[in-house]
Amino acid sequence: MTPEELQVNGTAHPFAPGLTLLTLLQKLNISPQGVAVAVNDDFYPGAQIPDRALQAGDTVEIVRITGGG
Amino acid sequence: MPLHSDPLTIAGKTFGSRLMLGTGKFNDLGLMNAVLEASGTGIVTVAIRRVELRAPGHVGLLESLDLNRYQLLPNTAGCRTAEEAVRVARLARAATGVSWIKLEVIPDARWLLPDPVGTLEAAEILVGDGFTVLPYVQPDAVLARALERVGCATVMPLASPIGSGRGFRTGELLRTVLDGASVPIVVDAGLAVPSDAAQALEAGADAVLVNTAVAEARDPVGMAHAFALGVRAGRAAFLAGRMAERETASPSSPAMGIPRLPDPEVPA
Repeated sequence: MTPEELQVNGTAHPFAPGLTLLTLLQKLNISPQGVAVAVNDDFYPGAQIPDRALQAGDTVEIVRITGGG
Repeated sequence: MPLHSDPLTIAGKTFGSRLMLGTGKFNDLGLMNAVLEASGTGIVTVAIRRVELRAPGHVGLLESLDLNRYQLLPNTAGCRTAEEAVRVARLARAATGVSWIKLEVIPDARWLLPDPVGTLEAAEILVGDGFTVLPYVQPDAVLARALERVGCATVMPLASPIGSGRGFRTGELLRTVLDGASVPIVVDAGLAVPSDAAQALEAGADAVLVNTAVAEARDPVGMAHAFALGVRAGRAAFLAGRMAERETASPSSPAMGIPRLPDPEVPA
Protein backbone atom coordinates (compact mmCIF):
# COMPACT_ATOMS: atom_id res chain seq x y z
CA MET A 1 0.00 0.00 0.00
CA THR A 2 1.50 3.31 -1.05
CA PRO A 3 0.77 6.56 0.83
CA GLU A 4 -1.87 7.31 -1.84
CA GLU A 5 -3.89 4.17 -1.25
CA LEU A 6 -6.26 2.66 1.26
CA GLN A 7 -7.18 -0.95 1.87
CA VAL A 8 -10.74 -1.96 0.95
CA ASN A 9 -11.63 -5.56 1.72
CA GLY A 10 -8.00 -6.51 1.64
CA THR A 11 -7.12 -4.92 -1.69
CA ALA A 12 -5.47 -1.60 -2.44
CA HIS A 13 -7.78 1.17 -3.58
CA PRO A 14 -6.62 4.55 -4.92
CA PHE A 15 -7.01 7.43 -2.51
CA ALA A 16 -7.91 10.92 -3.68
CA PRO A 17 -8.37 13.91 -1.37
CA GLY A 18 -12.04 14.41 -0.53
CA LEU A 19 -12.86 10.69 -0.63
CA THR A 20 -15.57 9.83 1.90
CA LEU A 21 -17.06 6.56 3.04
CA LEU A 22 -20.31 7.09 1.17
CA THR A 23 -18.62 8.14 -2.07
CA LEU A 24 -16.42 5.05 -1.80
CA LEU A 25 -19.51 2.82 -1.50
CA GLN A 26 -21.09 4.61 -4.46
CA LYS A 27 -17.96 4.10 -6.56
CA LEU A 28 -18.02 0.41 -5.68
CA ASN A 29 -21.74 0.24 -6.47
CA ILE A 30 -22.54 -1.11 -3.01
CA SER A 31 -25.86 -0.25 -1.38
CA PRO A 32 -25.47 0.44 2.36
CA GLN A 33 -28.59 -1.67 2.95
CA GLY A 34 -27.69 -5.06 4.39
CA VAL A 35 -23.99 -4.42 4.84
CA ALA A 36 -21.80 -3.35 7.73
CA VAL A 37 -18.65 -1.31 7.45
CA ALA A 38 -15.54 -0.91 9.53
CA VAL A 39 -13.08 1.92 9.07
CA ASN A 40 -10.03 0.90 11.09
CA ASP A 41 -11.59 0.22 14.52
CA ASP A 42 -14.92 2.02 13.99
CA PHE A 43 -17.90 -0.19 13.15
CA TYR A 44 -21.08 0.99 11.42
CA PRO A 45 -24.37 -0.72 10.55
CA GLY A 46 -25.35 -0.16 6.92
CA ALA A 47 -28.21 2.15 7.82
CA GLN A 48 -25.96 4.32 9.98
CA ILE A 49 -22.90 4.70 7.82
CA PRO A 50 -21.63 8.25 8.29
CA ASP A 51 -20.25 10.27 5.43
CA ARG A 52 -16.88 10.51 7.11
CA ALA A 53 -13.73 11.51 5.34
CA LEU A 54 -11.28 8.74 4.56
CA GLN A 55 -7.52 9.00 4.84
CA ALA A 56 -4.75 7.37 2.87
CA GLY A 57 -3.74 4.27 4.80
CA ASP A 58 -7.23 3.59 6.21
CA THR A 59 -8.41 -0.01 6.38
CA VAL A 60 -12.00 -0.39 5.23
CA GLU A 61 -14.02 -3.60 5.54
CA ILE A 62 -17.43 -3.98 3.90
CA VAL A 63 -19.22 -7.17 4.94
CA ARG A 64 -22.57 -8.88 4.73
CA ILE A 65 -24.26 -11.91 6.21
CA THR A 66 -23.97 -15.19 4.38
CA GLY A 67 -24.83 -18.81 5.09
CA GLY A 68 -22.66 -20.52 7.67
CA GLY A 69 -22.58 -22.90 10.57
CA MET B 1 -40.69 -33.57 33.39
CA PRO B 2 -42.87 -33.27 30.25
CA LEU B 3 -41.05 -31.91 27.22
CA HIS B 4 -43.47 -29.05 26.65
CA SER B 5 -42.40 -27.50 29.95
CA ASP B 6 -38.72 -28.08 29.34
CA PRO B 7 -37.43 -25.07 27.43
CA LEU B 8 -33.80 -24.33 26.65
CA THR B 9 -32.71 -21.08 28.28
CA ILE B 10 -29.66 -19.20 27.00
CA ALA B 11 -28.75 -15.80 28.41
CA GLY B 12 -32.27 -15.42 29.81
CA LYS B 13 -33.99 -16.20 26.51
CA THR B 14 -36.06 -19.37 26.22
CA PHE B 15 -36.41 -21.68 23.20
CA GLY B 16 -38.83 -24.52 22.58
CA SER B 17 -36.32 -26.49 20.49
CA ARG B 18 -32.94 -27.88 21.53
CA LEU B 19 -31.75 -28.03 17.94
CA MET B 20 -29.72 -25.19 16.43
CA LEU B 21 -29.32 -25.02 12.67
CA GLY B 22 -26.52 -23.68 10.52
CA THR B 23 -27.30 -22.02 7.20
CA GLY B 24 -24.10 -22.96 5.36
CA LYS B 25 -23.95 -25.05 2.18
CA PHE B 26 -27.46 -24.17 1.01
CA ASN B 27 -27.55 -22.71 -2.50
CA ASP B 28 -31.28 -22.11 -2.40
CA LEU B 29 -32.77 -19.76 0.21
CA GLY B 30 -36.19 -21.36 -0.27
CA LEU B 31 -34.78 -24.76 0.62
CA MET B 32 -32.92 -23.28 3.57
CA ASN B 33 -36.11 -21.77 4.96
CA ALA B 34 -37.98 -25.05 4.46
CA VAL B 35 -35.21 -26.80 6.40
CA LEU B 36 -35.44 -24.31 9.26
CA GLU B 37 -39.20 -24.78 9.36
CA ALA B 38 -38.93 -28.59 9.40
CA SER B 39 -36.28 -28.53 12.12
CA GLY B 40 -38.41 -26.48 14.51
CA THR B 41 -35.26 -24.60 15.48
CA GLY B 42 -35.26 -21.26 17.25
CA ILE B 43 -31.56 -20.46 16.78
CA VAL B 44 -29.91 -20.05 13.39
CA THR B 45 -26.23 -19.45 12.68
CA VAL B 46 -24.87 -17.26 9.88
CA ALA B 47 -21.40 -16.19 8.76
CA ILE B 48 -19.88 -12.78 7.99
CA ARG B 49 -18.04 -12.31 4.73
CA ARG B 50 -16.61 -9.50 2.69
CA VAL B 51 -18.88 -8.06 0.01
CA GLU B 52 -17.55 -9.04 -3.41
CA LEU B 53 -16.33 -5.72 -4.79
CA ARG B 54 -16.64 -6.91 -8.38
CA ALA B 55 -20.11 -8.41 -7.98
CA PRO B 56 -22.13 -6.59 -5.33
CA GLY B 57 -25.90 -6.82 -5.16
CA HIS B 58 -26.00 -10.37 -3.76
CA VAL B 59 -29.49 -11.44 -2.65
CA GLY B 60 -29.50 -11.01 1.09
CA LEU B 61 -29.73 -13.96 3.42
CA LEU B 62 -30.60 -11.53 6.19
CA GLU B 63 -33.74 -10.34 4.42
CA SER B 64 -34.93 -13.89 3.80
CA LEU B 65 -34.83 -14.93 7.47
CA ASP B 66 -37.80 -14.29 9.75
CA LEU B 67 -36.01 -12.59 12.63
CA ASN B 68 -39.17 -12.57 14.76
CA ARG B 69 -38.99 -16.32 14.68
CA TYR B 70 -35.30 -17.10 14.81
CA GLN B 71 -32.58 -15.90 17.14
CA LEU B 72 -29.75 -15.04 14.79
CA LEU B 73 -26.37 -16.39 15.88
CA PRO B 74 -23.57 -14.95 13.72
CA ASN B 75 -20.30 -16.84 13.87
CA THR B 76 -16.65 -15.92 13.57
CA ALA B 77 -15.88 -18.89 11.32
CA GLY B 78 -12.66 -18.48 9.39
CA CYS B 79 -10.99 -16.38 12.09
CA ARG B 80 -7.54 -17.66 13.00
CA THR B 81 -6.75 -15.46 15.99
CA ALA B 82 -8.56 -13.81 18.90
CA GLU B 83 -7.96 -10.42 17.29
CA GLU B 84 -9.63 -11.47 14.02
CA ALA B 85 -12.55 -13.02 15.88
CA VAL B 86 -13.17 -9.91 17.99
CA ARG B 87 -13.15 -7.80 14.83
CA VAL B 88 -15.55 -10.10 12.99
CA ALA B 89 -17.85 -10.21 16.03
CA ARG B 90 -18.06 -6.43 15.97
CA LEU B 91 -18.74 -6.47 12.22
CA ALA B 92 -21.42 -9.11 12.83
CA ARG B 93 -23.11 -6.96 15.44
CA ALA B 94 -23.04 -3.98 13.08
CA ALA B 95 -24.41 -6.09 10.21
CA THR B 96 -27.22 -7.76 12.16
CA GLY B 97 -27.97 -5.61 15.18
CA VAL B 98 -27.58 -8.83 17.20
CA SER B 99 -25.02 -9.11 19.98
CA TRP B 100 -25.01 -12.93 20.14
CA ILE B 101 -21.85 -14.45 18.70
CA LYS B 102 -20.77 -18.01 18.09
CA LEU B 103 -17.09 -17.61 18.80
CA GLU B 104 -14.72 -19.65 16.66
CA VAL B 105 -10.95 -19.16 16.77
CA ILE B 106 -9.55 -21.78 14.43
CA PRO B 107 -5.92 -21.60 13.29
CA ASP B 108 -5.94 -25.00 11.60
CA ALA B 109 -7.71 -25.52 8.27
CA ARG B 110 -7.26 -29.29 8.05
CA TRP B 111 -9.01 -30.34 11.24
CA LEU B 112 -10.69 -27.02 12.03
CA LEU B 113 -9.81 -27.47 15.68
CA PRO B 114 -10.35 -24.45 17.93
CA ASP B 115 -7.52 -22.64 19.71
CA PRO B 116 -8.40 -22.80 23.42
CA VAL B 117 -6.13 -19.93 24.46
CA GLY B 118 -7.30 -17.58 21.71
CA THR B 119 -10.93 -18.54 22.31
CA LEU B 120 -10.73 -17.71 26.01
CA GLU B 121 -8.93 -14.45 25.27
CA ALA B 122 -11.53 -13.37 22.68
CA ALA B 123 -14.43 -14.49 24.90
CA GLU B 124 -13.29 -12.28 27.73
CA ILE B 125 -12.96 -9.25 25.45
CA LEU B 126 -16.35 -9.84 23.81
CA VAL B 127 -18.22 -10.41 27.10
CA GLY B 128 -16.69 -7.14 28.31
CA ASP B 129 -17.98 -5.48 25.15
CA GLY B 130 -21.56 -6.60 25.83
CA PHE B 131 -21.73 -9.69 23.62
CA THR B 132 -23.58 -12.89 24.45
CA VAL B 133 -20.78 -15.34 23.70
CA LEU B 134 -21.22 -18.99 22.67
CA PRO B 135 -17.70 -20.40 22.19
CA TYR B 136 -16.84 -23.44 20.03
CA VAL B 137 -14.29 -25.59 21.85
CA GLN B 138 -12.90 -29.05 22.29
CA PRO B 139 -14.59 -30.95 25.12
CA ASP B 140 -12.19 -29.71 27.80
CA ALA B 141 -13.78 -29.34 31.25
CA VAL B 142 -11.08 -27.02 32.58
CA LEU B 143 -11.48 -24.69 29.59
CA ALA B 144 -15.28 -24.90 29.86
CA ARG B 145 -15.20 -23.74 33.49
CA ALA B 146 -12.83 -20.89 32.57
CA LEU B 147 -15.19 -19.79 29.78
CA GLU B 148 -18.10 -19.87 32.24
CA ARG B 149 -16.11 -17.74 34.69
CA VAL B 150 -15.49 -15.01 32.10
CA GLY B 151 -19.23 -14.91 31.39
CA CYS B 152 -19.91 -17.06 28.33
CA ALA B 153 -23.58 -17.90 27.80
CA THR B 154 -22.95 -21.50 26.73
CA VAL B 155 -20.05 -23.79 25.95
CA MET B 156 -20.12 -25.62 22.60
CA PRO B 157 -17.89 -28.70 22.61
CA LEU B 158 -17.35 -30.56 19.36
CA ALA B 159 -18.60 -34.08 18.67
CA SER B 160 -16.04 -34.62 15.88
CA PRO B 161 -14.39 -32.30 13.33
CA ILE B 162 -16.62 -29.71 11.63
CA GLY B 163 -18.37 -31.06 8.56
CA SER B 164 -16.78 -34.50 8.97
CA GLY B 165 -19.97 -36.46 9.65
CA ARG B 166 -17.98 -38.70 11.97
CA GLY B 167 -20.66 -38.46 14.60
CA PHE B 168 -20.60 -38.25 18.38
CA ARG B 169 -17.06 -39.37 19.27
CA THR B 170 -16.47 -37.42 22.44
CA GLY B 171 -18.88 -39.03 24.91
CA GLU B 172 -16.38 -39.67 27.70
CA LEU B 173 -14.94 -36.18 27.55
CA LEU B 174 -18.40 -34.63 27.27
CA ARG B 175 -19.26 -36.22 30.63
CA THR B 176 -16.50 -34.20 32.26
CA VAL B 177 -17.71 -30.98 30.61
CA LEU B 178 -21.30 -31.63 31.72
CA ASP B 179 -20.31 -32.44 35.29
CA GLY B 180 -20.71 -29.20 37.19
CA ALA B 181 -21.55 -27.04 34.17
CA SER B 182 -23.33 -23.81 35.08
CA VAL B 183 -24.33 -22.82 31.51
CA PRO B 184 -26.01 -24.83 28.73
CA ILE B 185 -23.66 -27.24 26.97
CA VAL B 186 -24.32 -27.38 23.22
CA VAL B 187 -22.70 -30.18 21.25
CA ASP B 188 -21.60 -28.73 17.94
CA ALA B 189 -19.93 -30.11 14.84
CA GLY B 190 -19.50 -33.50 13.26
CA LEU B 191 -22.95 -34.94 13.91
CA ALA B 192 -24.20 -36.92 10.91
CA VAL B 193 -27.48 -38.61 11.83
CA PRO B 194 -30.24 -38.08 14.40
CA SER B 195 -28.95 -40.92 16.59
CA ASP B 196 -25.76 -38.86 17.08
CA ALA B 197 -27.85 -35.97 18.35
CA ALA B 198 -29.95 -38.29 20.49
CA GLN B 199 -26.81 -39.71 22.12
CA ALA B 200 -25.56 -36.24 22.98
CA LEU B 201 -28.89 -35.27 24.53
CA GLU B 202 -29.17 -38.62 26.34
CA ALA B 203 -25.76 -37.92 27.88
CA GLY B 204 -27.11 -34.64 29.23
CA ALA B 205 -26.10 -32.09 26.62
CA ASP B 206 -28.59 -29.22 26.60
CA ALA B 207 -28.73 -28.83 22.82
CA VAL B 208 -26.95 -29.62 19.57
CA LEU B 209 -26.05 -27.64 16.46
CA VAL B 210 -26.05 -29.22 13.01
CA ASN B 211 -25.47 -27.89 9.53
CA THR B 212 -23.68 -30.17 7.08
CA ALA B 213 -25.64 -33.26 8.20
CA VAL B 214 -28.81 -31.55 7.00
CA ALA B 215 -27.43 -29.55 4.07
CA GLU B 216 -25.72 -32.60 2.53
CA ALA B 217 -28.54 -35.08 3.14
CA ARG B 218 -30.29 -36.35 0.01
CA ASP B 219 -33.47 -34.75 1.39
CA PRO B 220 -32.44 -31.85 3.65
CA VAL B 221 -36.00 -31.08 4.76
CA GLY B 222 -36.57 -34.72 5.71
CA MET B 223 -33.28 -34.84 7.60
CA ALA B 224 -34.07 -31.60 9.46
CA HIS B 225 -37.32 -33.20 10.64
CA ALA B 226 -35.45 -36.39 11.59
CA PHE B 227 -32.96 -34.39 13.69
CA ALA B 228 -35.85 -32.65 15.45
CA LEU B 229 -37.18 -36.08 16.42
CA GLY B 230 -33.72 -37.33 17.47
CA VAL B 231 -33.18 -34.33 19.71
CA ARG B 232 -36.61 -34.74 21.31
CA ALA B 233 -36.06 -38.44 21.86
CA GLY B 234 -32.63 -37.88 23.38
CA ARG B 235 -33.83 -35.18 25.72
CA ALA B 236 -36.88 -37.20 26.79
CA ALA B 237 -34.60 -40.16 27.53
CA PHE B 238 -32.23 -38.00 29.57
CA LEU B 239 -35.13 -36.70 31.64
CA ALA B 240 -36.50 -40.24 32.06
CA GLY B 241 -33.12 -41.51 33.30
CA ARG B 242 -31.37 -44.45 31.71
CA MET B 243 -31.05 -47.85 33.35
CA ALA B 244 -27.80 -48.93 34.94
CA GLU B 245 -25.45 -51.08 32.88
CA ARG B 246 -24.79 -54.69 33.90
CA GLU B 247 -21.84 -56.84 33.06
CA THR B 248 -24.02 -59.86 32.11
CA ALA B 249 -27.61 -60.61 31.05
CA SER B 250 -30.67 -60.19 33.25
CA PRO B 251 -33.81 -62.05 32.04
CA SER B 252 -36.81 -59.83 31.35
CA SER B 253 -39.24 -62.76 31.90
CA PRO B 254 -39.73 -64.43 35.33
CA ALA B 255 -37.06 -67.00 36.17
CA MET B 256 -39.58 -69.12 38.09
CA GLY B 257 -42.39 -71.31 36.73
CA ILE B 258 -40.91 -72.20 33.36
CA PRO B 259 -42.67 -75.39 32.00
CA ARG B 260 -39.50 -77.39 31.59
CA LEU B 261 -38.67 -80.76 30.05
CA PRO B 262 -36.09 -82.86 31.83
CA ASP B 263 -32.73 -81.15 31.79
CA PRO B 264 -30.89 -81.72 28.52
CA GLU B 265 -27.93 -84.00 28.70
CA VAL B 266 -24.63 -82.27 28.69
CA PRO B 267 -22.73 -83.43 25.55
CA ALA B 268 -19.68 -85.52 26.36
